Amino acid sequence: MKTKLQVSALALAASAAFAAGGQANAWTLEEAAKPYAGTELEVLFLDRPGYNAAIKMLPEFEAATGIKVNYTTVPYENALGEQVRDFVAGGDLDIALIDLVWIGNFAENGWIEPLDKFTGDAALADPDLDMADFFPLVLNAFGGWNNVIYGLPFDNYSGLMFYNSCMLKDAGFDKPPETWADLKDVYGPALTKDGKYAYALQSKRNETQSADSFARMLWPFGGSFLNAEFKSNLNSPESQAGLQFRQDLMQYMPEGIVAFDHAETVNALAQGDVAMITEWSAFYSTLASPDTSKLGDCLAVAPEPKGPAGRKPALGGFSLAVATQADDAEKAAGYLFIQWVTSKANAGRYLEMGGVPARQSAYADPALAETYKFIPALVESWKEGVPEFRPRFAEWPAITEIVQEWGTKMMLGEVSTEEGAKTIGEKMEAVLAEAGYYDGKKPLAQ
Amino acid sequence: MTTQVRRTTLLAFIGPAVFALLIVGIVPLFYAVWKSLHYFNLTKIAQQRFVGLENYLFVLTDSVFWQAMGRTALLFILSVPVQIAIGLTIALVLHRPGMTLFKTLTRLALVLPMATTYAVVGLLAQVMLNQKYGVINQMLGWLGVDAINFIGDPTNAFIAVVIWDIWQWTPFVALVLLAGLATVPPEIEEAAQLETRSPWIVLRHVQLPYLIPSLVAVLILRTADTLKLFDMPFTMTRGGPGAATEFIAVLIERVGNRQFDIGLASAQSIIMLIVTIVLARLYIRFFYREVR
Repeated sequence: MKTKLQVSALALAASAAFAAGGQANAWTLEEAAKPYAGTELEVLFLDRPGYNAAIKMLPEFEAATGIKVNYTTVPYENALGEQVRDFVAGGDLDIALIDLVWIGNFAENGWIEPLDKFTGDAALADPDLDMADFFPLVLNAFGGWNNVIYGLPFDNYSGLMFYNSCMLKDAGFDKPPETWADLKDVYGPALTKDGKYAYALQSKRNETQSADSFARMLWPFGGSFLNAEFKSNLNSPESQAGLQFRQDLMQYMPEGIVAFDHAETVNALAQGDVAMITEWSAFYSTLASPDTSKLGDCLAVAPEPKGPAGRKPALGGFSLAVATQADDAEKAAGYLFIQWVTSKANAGRYLEMGGVPARQSAYADPALAETYKFIPALVESWKEGVPEFRPRFAEWPAITEIVQEWGTKMMLGEVSTEEGAKTIGEKMEAVLAEAGYYDGKKPLAQ
Repeated sequence: MTTQVRRTTLLAFIGPAVFALLIVGIVPLFYAVWKSLHYFNLTKIAQQRFVGLENYLFVLTDSVFWQAMGRTALLFILSVPVQIAIGLTIALVLHRPGMTLFKTLTRLALVLPMATTYAVVGLLAQVMLNQKYGVINQMLGWLGVDAINFIGDPTNAFIAVVIWDIWQWTPFVALVLLAGLATVPPEIEEAAQLETRSPWIVLRHVQLPYLIPSLVAVLILRTADTLKLFDMPFTMTRGGPGAATEFIAVLIERVGNRQFDIGLASAQSIIMLIVTIVLARLYIRFFYREVR
């Protein structure tokens, strides 16, 4: 509800500004950018398909506006640290690249500008911005914090099930498992044989462990990190059911799964060593390309299986927001770039070039599903996800480290799921207490 | 005849080095000490405050810190003696007369592991030790040995780091000891060889006393290197699985760069520095005195 109100308010603000301008019909990117020609923008990018797509589109933006976008490509693992240090030191970055779990951190520190500062400016706001066209879940989770929208969704993922339909067919299955229980009890035994495995769950000790492995098994079983009072919910029967399920499912995964990151997991499916994986939608192009995958026509995509509490698939992705440390010209130029690269008009091209836009209109054409097999599953997932799949508050960087260590220890059998959850819970609550959530200093927002 | 060097000349020669050391070494050290007395988290700058010795108390009573210290000590205990044993063997072989070309090529080859960037060494290990596609398991397969889960098993991952550390640093030890052997006067060595045919006796009573300074240098440098060991395990295992390869430097990086708790990470670093200095003093006191 809040999301809808938020989107509507922004849409109204944009429309009002547009109408008040009196010259709305004349709005063009070229005209809007004229005062900022020659401005240089600094932004961090990752080496992922969505960024490569944006890089291919950049020359067009630069030619139209005279604004130069200087991007530095960094590994995901370094992106948060690079930006935090830059913002603390008052550095050069004009645009913030925000993973959904960083948004609370960036917003609470005042490092990013609320979007309405720009959408309310008729000279900058594109009349076709159409905020309501973004998937509400994605806009709210990736770009919103505490009922304020800061960023526009740029590099967007949902967890999907990628599977080898040929392996499933050979084992007598004509469709993927509908539930996690089916995956373990029916598909697991049938597909784990002759050195092949039914399923691989990337669980390496980094964000992959907490986001892709630990959290993925909490939500579909009705579990969560925190309860309504912001105390640990990890020892609740639902959370324990999910974590124990992960332990039981490991018998159908390759040995050493705790060393599997995205690359190993995607490769295991691509080389025909496992039958099913649950991975980010962004890996579709890797699995579909004959250069990196043997799957060919055997590649199929479905939404993640359902648990007792529903589907609740993994949710992840990045928004772009204007940095407060930029000067006024850089802020305006930065907004124009963000608005342009996430626009409805560019969504189709962004998709063609390997990106995944968060625009509902981009997926309206049913024929697209023929070319991009992941689209129906993605759209369905974005309707069923939970924004707080991982809490998005400023304390997540500290908490994810705890989850990574103890989540891995659980998988290795060094501690039971109860003991591990208890330890994570205690450490997590200590972090939250230090931050002031329990004495009313901070709102219970995640 | 003695020449009096003017004070200004001395300052002109030594001053720049002292100044550079101050800027790149001493000032950051004092800054780290200052920050270690504060709650200083980059993501919570507004909450920055002086906390006295609170960070130190936390570190000294933190089981995670001491477990990482223990792991680092175990790595040192397992790898350095092997490096010294193999390094000394290599040095003694290269010290023998003859086979000049072979020895030149060997010396060149010895530089390669040391010259390889630490992070690349870790990445190489990650690829080579991959259970499914790694070349090591492929070779073991030729010998009929089942693929070993090197990186995904806590014990195997630790052993893999030890072996990789031995591979990278044994050449360094060999070259340092070879330089040490070059300081043995040839006439004494030749006289000893006329007295006995046992290489062990020559090593024990003639060469080893001259090797003590090199061995102390090796111990000090390898201790400091082991305490600082970060790049290789970080790229190879990232401290995992679980905490199996979370050595002290990996832990400090995690606290400072991923949790952004610079105050706590500074306190950990200062304690590590103190440990390094104490160990270096102990080496010099107990091993080096034999030479003095």
